Amino acid sequence: MANQNTAVAAKKKSSLDKLGGQKFIVILVIIALFLFFSVMSANFRKYTTIVSILDYSYYIVLMSIGVTFPLITGGVDLSIGTGLICYSLVGGYLISFHNFPVWGGMLVTVLFGVAIGLVNGTLVAVMDIPPFLVTLCTCMITRGLGAIIVGGFGITWPTATQPGGWFRNIFKISIDARTKIPIGIVWVLILVAVMSFVLNHTKIGRYTIGIGSNKEAARLSGVNVKFYHIMAYVISGLFAGLAAIAYSAVFATVQPGTGAGFELEAIGGAIIGGVSASGGAGSVTGSLLGVFVICLLKTGLPFIGLQANWQQIITGLVLIGAVLIDVIKKRREVH
Amino acid sequence: MEALKNNPFVKKVGLNRILLVCVLIVMYVLFALFSPTFLSYSRILSILNYACFLGFLSLGVTFVIATGGIDFSIGPVMFCCALISGYCLMSYGVPMVPVMLISILVGLCFGIFNGYLVAYWSIPPFIVSMASMNISKGLASVFTKTQSVSWPQSTSEQGWYRYLVKVGNIPVGLFIFLGIAIICAIILNKTKIGRYILCLGSNMEAVRLSGVNVKKWQMTAYIICGTLVGIAAIFFVSAYTTVQPGYGDQYNNEAIAGCVMGGTSMAGGLASVSGTVIGVFIIALLQEGILALGMNKNYQLIITGIIVIAAVYFDVLGRRRKN
Amino acid sequence: MGEVILTMKGIDKSFPGVHALDHVDLEVRRGEVHALMGENGAGKSTLMKVLTGIYTKDEGTITFEGKEVEFHNTREAQDAGIVIVHQELNMLGHLTVAQNIFFGREFKKGIGIDDRKMNEEAAKLFERLNIDIDPTTTMSDLTVGKQQMCEIAKAISHEAKVIIFDEPSAALTEAEIEELFKIIRDLRAQNLGIIYISHRMDEIKVITDRVTVMRDGAYVGTLITEDCTKNDIINMMVGRVIYEDPKTHSMVPEGAPVVLKVENLNAGKMVQNVSFELHKGEILGFSGLMGAGRTETARAIFGADPKQSGDIYMNGEKVTINTPQDAVNHGIGYLSEDRKRFGIVVQKSVAENTTLATLKEYLSGIFINKRKEEKVAQEFVDSLATKTPGVDQLVVNLSGGNQQKVVIAKWLCRNSDVLIFDEPTRGIDVGAKNEIYKLMNKLAAEGKAIIMISSEMTEILRMSDRIVVMCEGKITGELDIAEATQENIMNLATREIS
Repeated sequence: MANQNTAVAAKKKSSLDKLGGQKFIVILVIIALFLFFSVMSANFRKYTTIVSILDYSYYIVLMSIGVTFPLITGGVDLSIGTGLICYSLVGGYLISFHNFPVWGGMLVTVLFGVAIGLVNGTLVAVMDIPPFLVTLCTCMITRGLGAIIVGGFGITWPTATQPGGWFRNIFKISIDARTKIPIGIVWVLILVAVMSFVLNHTKIGRYTIGIGSNKEAARLSGVNVKFYHIMAYVISGLFAGLAAIAYSAVFATVQPGTGAGFELEAIGGAIIGGVSASGGAGSVTGSLLGVFVICLLKTGLPFIGLQANWQQIITGLVLIGAVLIDVIKKRREVH
Repeated sequence: MEALKNNPFVKKVGLNRILLVCVLIVMYVLFALFSPTFLSYSRILSILNYACFLGFLSLGVTFVIATGGIDFSIGPVMFCCALISGYCLMSYGVPMVPVMLISILVGLCFGIFNGYLVAYWSIPPFIVSMASMNISKGLASVFTKTQSVSWPQSTSEQGWYRYLVKVGNIPVGLFIFLGIAIICAIILNKTKIGRYILCLGSNMEAVRLSGVNVKKWQMTAYIICGTLVGIAAIFFVSAYTTVQPGYGDQYNNEAIAGCVMGGTSMAGGLASVSGTVIGVFIIALLQEGILALGMNKNYQLIITGIIVIAAVYFDVLGRRRKN
Repeated sequence: MGEVILTMKGIDKSFPGVHALDHVDLEVRRGEVHALMGENGAGKSTLMKVLTGIYTKDEGTITFEGKEVEFHNTREAQDAGIVIVHQELNMLGHLTVAQNIFFGREFKKGIGIDDRKMNEEAAKLFERLNIDIDPTTTMSDLTVGKQQMCEIAKAISHEAKVIIFDEPSAALTEAEIEELFKIIRDLRAQNLGIIYISHRMDEIKVITDRVTVMRDGAYVGTLITEDCTKNDIINMMVGRVIYEDPKTHSMVPEGAPVVLKVENLNAGKMVQNVSFELHKGEILGFSGLMGAGRTETARAIFGADPKQSGDIYMNGEKVTINTPQDAVNHGIGYLSEDRKRFGIVVQKSVAENTTLATLKEYLSGIFINKRKEEKVAQEFVDSLATKTPGVDQLVVNLSGGNQQKVVIAKWLCRNSDVLIFDEPTRGIDVGAKNEIYKLMNKLAAEGKAIIMISSEMTEILRMSDRIVVMCEGKITGELDIAEATQENIMNLATREIS
């Protein structure tokens, strides 16, 4: 009996390893990258650099939290990148040209995201169209839609000094011109905690995992699979909307036609953080950590004299690498 | 309707293709009604310009979709081919013919990369596409130092390459495109490559158990696609001369739209080159028509998106009914 | 044994072309373990599917706890208290044990799920079953045996009154089976009715109280386990039907050379130390019950699945077969039991399927010579008497028997020396069956060596020159057709594990 207990304990540990192991490695990679860039460049280790790394990470992190859900169902959401720009354009446009209060613009931004998520989810879950195709199309559609609604021009959300500029302080409080507190990280961490709870301790999360793990078994258990499948995409859309606000708060202007490629950073981050490309497994905290790897590369590479474009190549390769590890692990399990 | 279906001519050509041609004609007439300039020869030439490079992309992706896979890195990869080869031409003075080969070679390399990962490492095609999309954009930017590349004008010494698209008022590009489309149709329908690609797209396991090296043929589809993307790049610059790093995404959707509209099934196993060709003309016409109606490119993004979803949905519905 | 809890009376069910259940009766009492036995295809699973609402019956009544009931889906059956523990596990590998057990009916606490309560409840269930499983373990980390226990726990958590075990021991080790029996005895003591489907005769003797035997979709009889012998049950299972023209002696000429020799083949749990020889012109029947490892053996020989060890000799020469490609090159053809998935490309034409394995021979330069291809396909259509409007017809439009002929044509086209027929007549109507048999005999007479895997006793006795019987991944015996009877085959197929 005692033997059996230790065996159970050992098993438990190994499953803990499975969840925690990759995260642990990712944390080590983050630290290593940070140390590497700090040693290589004196400018990198400045407080302002760190603040700006954080600034540029918020919107990617938020997208990544959201996209974790469709990924866990075994799908994907490619529309979040251009979607983000579209939602931000529309919100900013209403504020700038239609005298919407800033909170009203923010609300529209988020709701727009939810609406596109709903469209994606319905097309995937009810109409059975492959997720990558649906979201590739909504990716293009949101890109066109955003530009059309605002008339093809860049949109500026109120600056910090203008009325309504308070919203920029949501993410960064400026004490004076030099000292800035990256308060956004607090909100991000809170959202990570909330969505971790949603994923692990609510029906939405439980059934999201169920769909990705064995959709037929989930259906046979009497779960309304279609509804929860749609919800995964709605969550992704909601967070793309929130990411749009983070983006608007950090960048001076939002340009139509941009945004393609953001989704890759978010999805890449999630997969590096342990979300399985074939669905079923993944965690929100893992996605958060994975995104930081990508953000560090993105902001760090220019400091060591490599153009930012290298980051695109490296992200692509890292993505393949992360999936490869997943594939090899599965092959080993089979044999 | 039944009588129409049983008409020998309809049976031979396929109802879908006839309907597509009708759509093409109706669209042309409608655009012509709203915009009189649409009937001008120069308009037609510019539609053909667009159809040309898009056609190569669409032909390429037809092979990949026939295996049941997908490649939506083709647009950025095409730009990557045009940028790298163009940069060699403009900055290193490489002569035109090798430059064209470089373009095709770059496309080929991406095809090998994608195909290898999908076939031999079983990485989902959409992940591979995503990675390739980024890698190709990054590579092009790094190579050209984020500068756009302008290929030589017609009047310059090396401008002869633009004759690939048109000589005077003769749309040479159209003929080359149709020629290559015929070759693709032959490959798909009359050779071992095509036979295996279509069969494995339909039932990979049955083909494997017949003693066929399915991985090799699956990879071949991606390689053909990559090569055609390299060719597409040459025709793109022949028509438009300037390429900018970081773009090209929208052509993915348009190429896939042309392909699925033409009757190639997303589930694999069913592909039609002639359908793809007609589909591409519809997309090119749409693009030009939207501009002629005074709307901008953005409307086209939306309309193509909706077309793809609709076309795939009909495919899904058809399969559901069969089961 | 207590009072009757479940009665199924006169259950009748037909599918197009098949009379699956012919007025079957079954009675289960409280506190009883009731075995349901029969050959493959006797209708056990269909009966259970009718009971749990997956199929609707055409005729008959189901009385449960004194009331007549009719379930329209598994959920309704579950709610009433009838649950099934499937042979194939329906689990969500990424979730924990407790999360699996309560999936779809989680306990709520505020807006969240009360995982603690679920763990506690699961722990209580396991305590009741006397199983040592931590409810917080991830499902995929458990052994198959433990996963099965979780399925049982899930079944019981539905407040089950009748539990159906569908071959629960198939994937279990000896120790795990012991544990399973302990649980089943406990459940019996708790006055539940238990239906136990299994092929293992020794288990039936150990664990069950009564046995109901089915044959060819019909009810044969019910025995009290204690009062009957293994042979009584086997006799009921095989019946006394006179099978049409069984082979009386081997048709293989004396001293026919060995074409294929397999030595100590091992591939997973289902193929253990398999050795046999196959002669030229011989039809070697592979008999055994479902899950005996016959298909797995064939797939391992053919290179479709990886093998751990073992040697294969073709015409006396040792060959390496790692992929189907190797096998085909050495002249082996495999006709899968599941034609639609593994045999044919349904969306392609008869001609295209015929030449799938031999396309190289139909190339003129780089092009496929369609005329030559169609000519050969037409030859096979004629010689096999395949009913098709033409060789350009899509295979999806043909009947099962004719689809099978297309697959046969594919391998004949390849001129394979060894043909492995895996359930060659499954899903084929009687007329077409005879044609396939004739064809196989003709092929053997022409000198092809044939392995025929079949679960139909008639087929085995009618076609084979020699019979290999497998049980649980091992060859348990080899019989010449002259000495083979249904009884001794069934005896070998259900051999007790020693």
